[in-house]
Amino acid sequence: MTTWTDYLTTDSPTSRRQARLGQLYRQWLAFKRNPLAIAGLVIVVALLLIAAFAPLIAPHNPLAQNLDKRLLPPSAVNFFGTDSLGRDIFSRIVYGARVTLVIVLLVVISVGPVGLLIGATSGYLGGWVDRLLMRITDVFLAFPRLVLALAFVAALGPGLENAVIAIAITAWPPYARVARAETLIIRQQDYIAAVRLQGASQWRIVWKHVVPLCLPSLIVRTTLDMAGIILTAAGLGFLGLGAQPPIPEWGAMISAGREQIFDQWWVATFPGLAICVVALGFNLLGDGLRDVMDQR
Amino acid sequence: MRALTTPTEQPLLELDNLRVNFHTPTGIVRAVRGLSFTLGRERLGIVGESGSGKSMTGRAILDLIPYPGEVLADRLVYRGQDLLTMDKRTRRKLRGRHISMVMQDPKFSLNPVQTVGEQIAEAYRVHHKASAREARERSIAMLEAVQIREPGRVYELYPHEVSGGMGQRVMIAMMLIAEPDILIADEPTSALDVTVQLQILKILDDLVTERGMGLIFISHDLHLVQSFCDRVIVMYGGKAMETLPAAELADEAARSQRHPYTLGLLGCLPDLDHPKAKLATLTRDPAWLA
Amino acid sequence: MTTQPAIALDKLNVSFGDAHVVKDLSFTVQPGESYGIVGESGSGKSTVLRVLAGLNRDWSGEIAILGKAQPKIRDKAFHRQVQMVFQDPYGSLHPKKTVDDALAEPLTIHGIRDAEARIGRAMADVGLPPSFRFRYPHQLSGGQRQRVAIARALVLEPTILLLDEPTSALDVSIQAEVLNLLQALRQERKLTYILVSHDLAVVAHMCERLLVMQFGRGVEEMTAATLAARAPQTAYAQQLLTASEGFKRQVATIPA
Repeated sequence: MTTWTDYLTTDSPTSRRQARLGQLYRQWLAFKRNPLAIAGLVIVVALLLIAAFAPLIAPHNPLAQNLDKRLLPPSAVNFFGTDSLGRDIFSRIVYGARVTLVIVLLVVISVGPVGLLIGATSGYLGGWVDRLLMRITDVFLAFPRLVLALAFVAALGPGLENAVIAIAITAWPPYARVARAETLIIRQQDYIAAVRLQGASQWRIVWKHVVPLCLPSLIVRTTLDMAGIILTAAGLGFLGLGAQPPIPEWGAMISAGREQIFDQWWVATFPGLAICVVALGFNLLGDGLRDVMDQR
Repeated sequence: MRALTTPTEQPLLELDNLRVNFHTPTGIVRAVRGLSFTLGRERLGIVGESGSGKSMTGRAILDLIPYPGEVLADRLVYRGQDLLTMDKRTRRKLRGRHISMVMQDPKFSLNPVQTVGEQIAEAYRVHHKASAREARERSIAMLEAVQIREPGRVYELYPHEVSGGMGQRVMIAMMLIAEPDILIADEPTSALDVTVQLQILKILDDLVTERGMGLIFISHDLHLVQSFCDRVIVMYGGKAMETLPAAELADEAARSQRHPYTLGLLGCLPDLDHPKAKLATLTRDPAWLA
Repeated sequence: MTTQPAIALDKLNVSFGDAHVVKDLSFTVQPGESYGIVGESGSGKSTVLRVLAGLNRDWSGEIAILGKAQPKIRDKAFHRQVQMVFQDPYGSLHPKKTVDDALAEPLTIHGIRDAEARIGRAMADVGLPPSFRFRYPHQLSGGQRQRVAIARALVLEPTILLLDEPTSALDVSIQAEVLNLLQALRQERKLTYILVSHDLAVVAHMCERLLVMQFGRGVEEMTAATLAARAPQTAYAQQLLTASEGFKRQVATIPA
C-alpha cells in the first residue's frame, strides 16, 4: 500500500510517467476532499454502469408492447409503472441511458477539439484570422441553441444521428470563445516568449504549449455543458425531431407522457427525474473538476 | 540621534510572544513563532526574506490574517488597551482610525471605479462625523500634505489615471486622513522607482517626526531599512534573529556582535564600494530556529 | 578570430501605436563582454531586450548579431546564438511542463540528438540535482525556477544571453547565488551578456560597461569603474546613483 503512494507522492519522480501520474494523483486527492464533486462522479459512474449493463438491469424488454398492461402505476413488477403502450418505464429508462450517453459522447468528441482548435488558433494568431473566425462564431452564437438545432434537424431530417449533428454544430462556438479568451492571456506569458525564442513554429506553440493550458477549462466547460446537451437532445426528442420511436429516449418519453400527465403522472415524471439527476451529476462533476484543474 | 522613546511615555504598541499559525490539511504552518517587541513614536523596521513572517506580523496586529490562520499572543496591547480580549467591533473601529496599513502595490488597493479623492473622503467619513464638503476639504488638504502638487485636480482622477508613485501617495493620504497613531507600511516602495521611492519615504519620515506617529516599516531591502529606520528587527523563519539600532547595521566595527544571519544578508548584497569577484552566499543554520 | 561585435545596434526606434518607447538608440557589445542597461520603469530598457530577442517586431533601425544584420523575423540559426532569461521565474516556466519537458523542447525543435546527455549537463551546470528533473514548476522555489530558466537558455549552447532583471524577483541570498552562477557560466563559456536591471549595484557587479536610459533614450554610457567612482557625467545618472544609496534625510527633497 505505502509503496505505491510513495511512488506517486514523491518529490523527485524519476521518469516522465511517474511525474504525470503523481500530478494526477495529487489532483485526485484534492478532488476527493469535495463531497459534492464525489456525488457528481458517483452519478456519472452509475450512468456508465447502467448503460453498460442495461440488459442485466432491466427486468423487461423496453420495446415489448403489452396493451393489456397499459398505464399501470408503479408496482413491484413495474417499478416505474408502464406507458400508454404497456411498456415497462423502468426498463426504458435503463436502456435510455445508452441513448443519452451516445448523444453526449458523440457531441463532446466532435465539439471539444473543433472549438479548442478554432479558439486557440484565433487567439494566438490574432489579426484577420481572429476576426474571420470570431465573426463566424458570433453568427452561430446569435441564435438560441435549440432554435438553431431545430432548423438543422428540419433541414437534415429527424433522427438520432441528425440530432447529434445539429447539436454539435450549435455547441462549438462557446468552446471556441473560452479557448480564445484563455489563449489571449496565455500568449502574453513569458513561457510562451521563451518557446518563441527557441525558434518553435506557430503551429507547435499553439498545439504543444497553448492547447494543454486551455484544456482544463474546456474539460470543465464540457462537463458543465453535458447537462445542456442532454436537455437539448431531450428537447428535440420531446418535439419529435430527435430519436424516433420506439427508441427509448428520455426526452421523447416525456413527450409521449404529456397526454397522461394529470392522470398517470409516472409516465412523464420518471424520465424527467432521470434527466434531472444526470444533468445534476455532470454539473457537480464539472464544478469539482474546475476546482482541481484550474489551480496553476 | 534622536531619542527613540522617552522612557516615561507609554509605548504605542506592546507585543509579547506573537504566533501566527495556519492549519492546513498537511499540518500546521507556523508563519510567526514567538515575536516580541514594543513600538514607540519611531520608525521600526522589520526586515527579512520571503517566508520570514514579516508581512504576517503586520497583518496579525491588524487582525487581518485570512482563514485558516490564527493569531496567538501572550500580550498584544495598543496604548493600554488589550487587543486580544477586545470584541471584534471595537477592534474593527480601531483599525483604520488608530492603526493603519499601506500595502505594496496601490493598483490593487484602490477601487478602480471611484475617484481617488472620493475614496479618501470616504475613509475620513467612516471615522469622523463630517459633511461631504468638509470631508472633501480635508481630503484635498491631505493630498497636499503628501506632496501632490495639484490636489484639486488629482482628487477627480481615477486610480488608473495616476502613476505608481502618485497612487502610493494617495494610499498614504487615505490611511493618514484618520490620523492614526500607528502606520504599518508593508513594502510601501518596492513597486516604485528609486527616485519616487525616496519621495515616499520623505513623507513617511515627516509623519513620524512632525506628528509623532509610530511607523512599522516592513521590507526586504536591508540597505533601505538601515538608512531609513531607527531600529531594526531582523526576522528569519518566523523568529526575530536580532533587534538593533539601524545605525549599528552599517557600523563595520560592530560587525562581530551581529547575528550570523544579519551578517549573511549584508554579505550577499553586491556593493559599489567593495567589488568582489564572487558574492558571499548564505548558509542557514537550523539552530537559529530552535 | 573575428573582430565583429557580438551585438551592434544602430538608431533603433520602437513605437507601440502612438507611444515612441525607444528613440535613436545605438550601442555595440563586444564578444565576451557583459553590458548593462539601467533605467527606471518606462525607460524602454526591457523593450530593447525584447527587440534584440526578436519578440517585438515594431522597430526600425539596424540590428547586427555577430556581424549579421537581423531581419524582423529571425531564423533558427539566430535562436541557437541568442537566448534570454526573464524577470519573473513564476511566469517564465510553463505550469504544466516538468523541468525535463522545458529542457527537451528546444532540443526537439532544433533536432538535436544527444538530448539525454545535454539535459543532464545543463542541469548540472546550473546546480540542479538530477532528482529535480521530473518536477513541475510548482514543486520548485523561486531560485530553483530561475536556475531552470537559465538551464533552458543554455541548453542550445548560445553565445549571447539576454538577461531581463533575472534576480529582481528573488530574495537577496538567492540573488547572490544566481548572480554567482551567471558569472561562473560566463567565464566558462565565454558568453556575451546584456543585463537589464534597475539595481545599479547588481549591474556594477556583473558588467564592465553600462548604459543609463531615460524616456527611451540612452542618457550616458560609462564603465563600471566610473560608476563605482561616483563619476557619471550627466545629472540623471548622478540622480539615479544618489537615489540608490538609500534614504538620506537632507537629500530626500522633492524636486520642484
